Amino acid sequence: MHPRVHRAVFRSRAGSRTSNSSILISSTTSVDTASRTKKNPRTRRPISTNSNTGVAVAMTAEQNNVHNAAVSVVDSLITESSTSQDDVVRLCAGLILDGQLPHLQRQLHADFLTIPMSFQLPPNYTGLDASKPWLVYWPLQALGILDPDSLTDDILSRIGPSIMACLNETEGAFGGGNGQTSHLAATYACLNALAIAQDEDVWLQINRERLYKWLMSVKRPDGGFSMHVGGEEDVRAVYCALASAALLNIITPELTEGTAEWISRCQTYEGGIGGAPDNEAHGGYAFCGLAALCILGNPIEMIPKHLDVDNLVRWLSARQYQPEGGFSGRTNKLVDGCYSWWVGGCWSILEGALSWITAKDVLWSKADLQKYILCCCQSPRGGLRDKPGKSSDFYHSCYVLSGLSEAQHRYSFSPKLRDSSTGKWSFMWAYKLELPDVVIVDEQNTVRPINPVHVLPAGTGERMHDFYAALGALEL
Amino acid sequence: MPLAYLSDYSWDDVIPIPQDDGGENPLALIAYHDDYKIATGYLRAVMSIEEVSDRALQLTSDLIFMNPAHYTVWAYRARLLFALKKDLEEELIWVEEVSRQFLKNYQIWNHREVIVDKYDNPIRELPFIEEMLELDSKNYHVWSYRQWLVRRFDLWVTELAYTDHMIQDDVRNNSAWNHRFFAVFGKGEDVGQSVIDDEIDYAKSAILKAPQNASAWNYLIGLLKRGERPMSDIEKFCNDLAAVQTTEHAVNVDNDRISSARALEVLADIYNSRNEVDKAAQAWTLLAEKYDPIRENYWKFKKSQAIQRLAATA
Ligand SMILES: [Zn+2]
Repeated sequence: MHPRVHRAVFRSRAGSRTSNSSILISSTTSVDTASRTKKNPRTRRPISTNSNTGVAVAMTAEQNNVHNAAVSVVDSLITESSTSQDDVVRLCAGLILDGQLPHLQRQLHADFLTIPMSFQLPPNYTGLDASKPWLVYWPLQALGILDPDSLTDDILSRIGPSIMACLNETEGAFGGGNGQTSHLAATYACLNALAIAQDEDVWLQINRERLYKWLMSVKRPDGGFSMHVGGEEDVRAVYCALASAALLNIITPELTEGTAEWISRCQTYEGGIGGAPDNEAHGGYAFCGLAALCILGNPIEMIPKHLDVDNLVRWLSARQYQPEGGFSGRTNKLVDGCYSWWVGGCWSILEGALSWITAKDVLWSKADLQKYILCCCQSPRGGLRDKPGKSSDFYHSCYVLSGLSEAQHRYSFSPKLRDSSTGKWSFMWAYKLELPDVVIVDEQNTVRPINPVHVLPAGTGERMHDFYAALGALEL
Repeated sequence: MPLAYLSDYSWDDVIPIPQDDGGENPLALIAYHDDYKIATGYLRAVMSIEEVSDRALQLTSDLIFMNPAHYTVWAYRARLLFALKKDLEEELIWVEEVSRQFLKNYQIWNHREVIVDKYDNPIRELPFIEEMLELDSKNYHVWSYRQWLVRRFDLWVTELAYTDHMIQDDVRNNSAWNHRFFAVFGKGEDVGQSVIDDEIDYAKSAILKAPQNASAWNYLIGLLKRGERPMSDIEKFCNDLAAVQTTEHAVNVDNDRISSARALEVLADIYNSRNEVDKAAQAWTLLAEKYDPIRENYWKFKKSQAIQRLAATA
């Protein structure tokens, strides 16, 4: 064993269902009917992550509350999708060890995440030159929940000037870099970075009147928003516009008119949410749509009013794959670490807002998601990744760690936290650490809670919003 | 002199504007190659006066090849093309070249939309989209561009055949299935019952090829809902695939013959809709313990929801 890899043995759930172990064992050897009837010489076989460990597989996995056995019914037909799916399962199989979870390599990841604060990024980052605010926000969010102490006063004080270099003064909005056109995604990432900075002097430099006017200029008559003037209209733009306006306390009925209805049109027959009406259901857009509804009003009312919740929940539930344990973003696509947040964030919102859904237990396997993250998403060079075989990057580090946080906490929408005037809905989220008998939580693996609507370390967005609220209403 | 911007045009009169990354020690600095640093310096300069010129257009071409995700450059380029009254077909051909080099880039597709909308002619589009989807059959932005195109130019007639071609290639291509749903229902008109019948048959035959295929199942269930057909229409179909034998209160699955866990899920919903909660509960238990165990919590939830509903109505 590599000396750096400490291992935590899973905590077993007391009195877990031993009667199931025989079923799980037999399921790995069951024959699917199609493979017997087809003459195709190349047929798919169930792949278990335990197939190469040779230990008493199902029993241990069952005790650990994770699902390492192969899916018991597998189609024999081979297509491009099934081939890539089988490849990923084999890759993960080599990393998922029965009965054990590797520790989160905190220092290794923190070292990776502080690279943009300590060094110049190499020239191959030029492709992200129009995403500079994200290059600031992703590692800050990741460090904010992994290792807040590493965000030194020096680093925090450098956020403001770095972000303000992306500001377009006449519009009050931000671009993807110095001198670049104002853009909603850039504006969202900039304001989130400023929330983490907690720097009131910089907060005072934001011209909210101008930004409000600019937001109205990218609003479309159908209720949606465009990413920039003349840019694409999608549900990310809606989320970024509303999240920005919520942080700055500039939400008005005019800004939000028709928007919930527009989001509703993005829900597809599959139950998930697409980027725009008619587009394919997609985990990233599902989060943006749900989170946007949580800003538009009381989520307890907004979500069932504008979405078919049963169909959404069914689709979300189908995103988690066995035996990998991670989430995929779309039907028949592969698991990817970043959906730990995009899909996991949807779960945290639904669990928190719709108590009738999760009165007793959550609707998915938090243990299996942690298994996927810890076994498959940790890059040996530091940082988190999409899947084994991919390099780590700041984007995946941010959303994999946010997903890990979501798997370790239980969120609840708590309207009693503050008075419920317009624009405060997304700052009423409470959280608690999940009990260890429900989810495998090892102290060395825990990361901090987040605001599940804004994807910020818990408390930071709340303080920024309160700061602007205390300044009083705008003359709009 | 390596620091000159090499171009067909003279730039002697322009003073490049350097990038201000903010403060003395900014975060996330990128060590650009010199040519990129120089070209963006000129970009800021010409954009600051919104210069409309052939050299500015050339500059956007050069920059796009260095960083195709630079949305500011794309938007400026579109403004220049229109202001200079450039041949838009030439532009589309150029964009095709860029797309082949940068398959995953999505700014291209918004730009193409802007150009084609103005060009008002979709003649190049479908063949080019098909070429791109051959290379990347689930590319989200290409599919959503195709939807925009179909609507904009009323190109509905080809779409069913095209999705069939893609589904034949890979019956699990969910983007193709989603597009098929759009092709059938996207016009917003009332589709006839015979169309729904045909599509139900289409989905069923796809399911028979790969009975666990969630794409075809989602499509089938979506059709039934949209066509206001009862789920029980497919009960026999599901019985065969789930190898289910039922008595009044019991559900038995032949473990050697079941080929679709989804069929069992649909059966549970059908039983539940008929208030046969004990049978539905058995089906959900089988899913939780045996046929789809990672979703155990979800199946248990469905079960407790049904039992609660029954208790409330009793
Ligand atoms: Zn990803």
